Amino acid sequence: MERLIFDAAAVIAILFAALMVLNRNPVKSVLALVVSFFFLAITYVLLSAPFIAAIQVIVYAGAILVLFLFVLMLLNVQREETPEKEPRPIQRFLGGAAILVFTIGLVEVLSGKGAAPGPPVAALVSGGRIGALARLLFTEYLLPFEALSVLLLAALVGAFVLVERERRA
Amino acid sequence: MIGSIPLSDVLLASAALFVIGLAGALLRRNAIAIFLSIELMMNAANLALIGYGAALGTREGQVAVFFVIAIAAAEASVGLAIFVALFRHTETIDVNKVNLLKW
Amino acid sequence: MSGALPLWLIPALPLAGFLVNGLLGSKLGKRFVSATGVGSVGLATLVAWSRLLPYFSSDHAPAVERVATWVTAGRFTAEIAFRLDPLSALMTSFVTFVGFLIHVYSTGYMHHDETDAGYARFFAYLNLFMFSMLTLVLAQNFLLMFVGWEGVGLCSYLLIGYYYEQPFAPAAGKKAFVVNRIGDWGFLLGMFGIVFTFGTLDYDGVFNAAAADPARYAPAATLLSLCLFLGAAGKSAQVPLYVWLPDAMAGPTPVSALIHAATMVTAGVYMVTRCNVLFRLAPDAMLVVAAIGAATALLAALIGLAQNDIKKVLAYSTVSQLGYMFLACGVGAFAAGMFHVMTHAFFKACLFLGAGAVMHAMSGELDMRKMGGLKSKLPVTYWTFLIAALTIAGIPPLAGFFSKDAILAATFEGGSGIDKVLFGVGLFTAGLTAFYMFRLVSQTFLGSFRGTPEQEHHVHEAPVSMTAPLVVLAGLSIVGGFVGVPAALGGSDRFHAFLAPIFLSLAGAPETGEPGLSHATEWLLMASSVAVAAGGILLAWKWYAREGGRVPERLAAAYPGVYALVAEKFRVDELYDALFVRPFAALARFCWKVIDVLVIDGILNAGAFLVELVGDLLRFLQTGNVRNYALSFLLGVVALMLIVIGTF
Repeated sequence: MERLIFDAAAVIAILFAALMVLNRNPVKSVLALVVSFFFLAITYVLLSAPFIAAIQVIVYAGAILVLFLFVLMLLNVQREETPEKEPRPIQRFLGGAAILVFTIGLVEVLSGKGAAPGPPVAALVSGGRIGALARLLFTEYLLPFEALSVLLLAALVGAFVLVERERRA
Repeated sequence: MIGSIPLSDVLLASAALFVIGLAGALLRRNAIAIFLSIELMMNAANLALIGYGAALGTREGQVAVFFVIAIAAAEASVGLAIFVALFRHTETIDVNKVNLLKW
Repeated sequence: MSGALPLWLIPALPLAGFLVNGLLGSKLGKRFVSATGVGSVGLATLVAWSRLLPYFSSDHAPAVERVATWVTAGRFTAEIAFRLDPLSALMTSFVTFVGFLIHVYSTGYMHHDETDAGYARFFAYLNLFMFSMLTLVLAQNFLLMFVGWEGVGLCSYLLIGYYYEQPFAPAAGKKAFVVNRIGDWGFLLGMFGIVFTFGTLDYDGVFNAAAADPARYAPAATLLSLCLFLGAAGKSAQVPLYVWLPDAMAGPTPVSALIHAATMVTAGVYMVTRCNVLFRLAPDAMLVVAAIGAATALLAALIGLAQNDIKKVLAYSTVSQLGYMFLACGVGAFAAGMFHVMTHAFFKACLFLGAGAVMHAMSGELDMRKMGGLKSKLPVTYWTFLIAALTIAGIPPLAGFFSKDAILAATFEGGSGIDKVLFGVGLFTAGLTAFYMFRLVSQTFLGSFRGTPEQEHHVHEAPVSMTAPLVVLAGLSIVGGFVGVPAALGGSDRFHAFLAPIFLSLAGAPETGEPGLSHATEWLLMASSVAVAAGGILLAWKWYAREGGRVPERLAAAYPGVYALVAEKFRVDELYDALFVRPFAALARFCWKVIDVLVIDGILNAGAFLVELVGDLLRFLQTGNVRNYALSFLLGVVALMLIVIGTF
């Protein structure tokens, strides 16, 4: 039963991702991606990661992509024009070939794994899911956690500096 | 509940998302579209991480995803800031036209 | 002896003089420089004689004074230590005294022409030379001796090239240094061999061991002696390494007197005598020494016959007399050789200083053909010069007679065919010596004046600072021989007895000592040498003083080829140039043009070129297009993935 839901949600997510890539209008791309992320969140829930699913919707879909939209609106970005000059054939060939090889390799590697499903984990079905995650974050992974806050600070400052207009003296 | 979702399904989905993102990153000329494709690739990785975490019965996969999302936020803000600064200069979002560091 | 001044003080005083004059002299004026330069050597002489006088009247036991340990390497040690024994005492006695006289002379000779800086430089180098020479003769081991050995070579180079603004002098200095170096190579090989064979460089260690066990060390001794003799040949200008000495006359005349007559050039003889134990274990080496000595004596005398430069004649004369000294060592008469070293120091220094006085009077003229008639104008110079010339010719009872006769007698005493030949060469060369010396005297002092009117106007006797040393040296030439009067003439030959402790007795090796000739034979030899000398003197006087050189001119015109050969020193320098100098220069040019420029620089330049080339090619990767870079990323990832899959 869960497998069905998972497969459906995954397929829809993939579908909208493809839409995102193919659409010429940037705004429409962003919106497609939002939908895709939403369905990904559903798959996270099915994989016993409800907290992450919530974070995905709130932060990723709700903040980051909205930020994208803000920028698009701010700069009034138009539809992407059709390319007036084709990229060199060698590049297209190389790019296509690389993607193909990569895909095949990926599938090759991954199909050797996980044919059998893993055993159910008791802790996951118990109530303290967020608690357990928090315990890990604040004990074993405390240093990366704190470093992450510094990183966010740096990104904040950096974003400010980068968009500063030149002062006219 | 988890036991009924085979890991191979998760990984296939992750792979599919990743390749789509890769194709988008390489084949689009629009800078925003490239950004979005990169975000998609990161999400594909998140899916794989969570899948493995569930299969191995540990929460460390979720911890990793936690960090990935936070870092993606930071990266997106800085990247967009660069994009804004660039756009102010060049009035275009076509990456092909931004080639001043040429030999 | 606790009250005695230490031996190391003797070389240290001139060293101090060198430092003071070298660093401060140019700023402090000629008077100060003279006082320091002459004073340091004078003090050293006093210190030396304060030790020597008691030593002469003592039992002549060697005294060794250690100053410090210099080298400690495994089982090998070398010390800074000084030795006072008969040989070093002898050398020190006249090195200090004659050196002092020449320093006094130099104050007069160098005074007018030089700047304060040049004057100070001269005396600094001269003091440095005295330091090196005294270190050489007072050393207790080969290593310290070599320090002095190299030091005198250095000072020789510095002083020959003293007039460095002229083109010839520095070249002559370089030539002296390079030729000496070849000899030094031999000396070094000898030292290495000594360390290898005996395990030490200390004189007592080496010689006592060799004397105690001759059979064991005799095979090595030949090679060691020959190597050491090579060094001596370089320093003492023997065939084939004599070519530097005539050119060295480019230096100031006091330098020629001190270094290239009285002291440095005799260092080789001193060294051979010091190593007499090793040589006596190797009769073949002794034969080589004697033969080269005789050959050098003859060759140099022949060349001296045809030279017109007054200093060149004296230079070749020095080479010739050095040959006599080595002849003496070669036949085992080391004491006779050292005797001649001492007398030679007196009369040759006197001759050179006298030549300097003549040059001083003649405003720098060197060509004897342009002199003449100076006897009346320069009386003191003339008479001292005459005494010294008679001494070198071997006229009794002057010093040269006794020393030269001792050598000839010892050679004759050997008895074998080779010894007779050597004796004949020695006798003939004595005649040549007398002849060319009196050719010089006649052309310079006798006859009529052949110079220019301005020169005639300026002719004047030298100042007292120059004539006083001449007188002293002439006096020593007169009396100096009386310490070595042989038994045949009723003397006790105190000289030979004094040096006897140097000659350690070997089991079964040939004895050195008084010739075992009968007194009658000795008188015959003496008479023949005097006769030959007198004949040479009279012939020269007749041809040059009385007849103004007409007969020699006709002879030269009759045999132009022979004359040219002799006058051009048998073209030895040209031979060396063709054999050694040119190939070396070609080799150097090859190393430069091919190896250095083409190969080494070429490799470096090729490396740079390659880098440039690669950079030129790689820059096309920088297209500026971000998507290309992304593609490169992907290609890299794909490659990695393939590797990972492949290894699975």
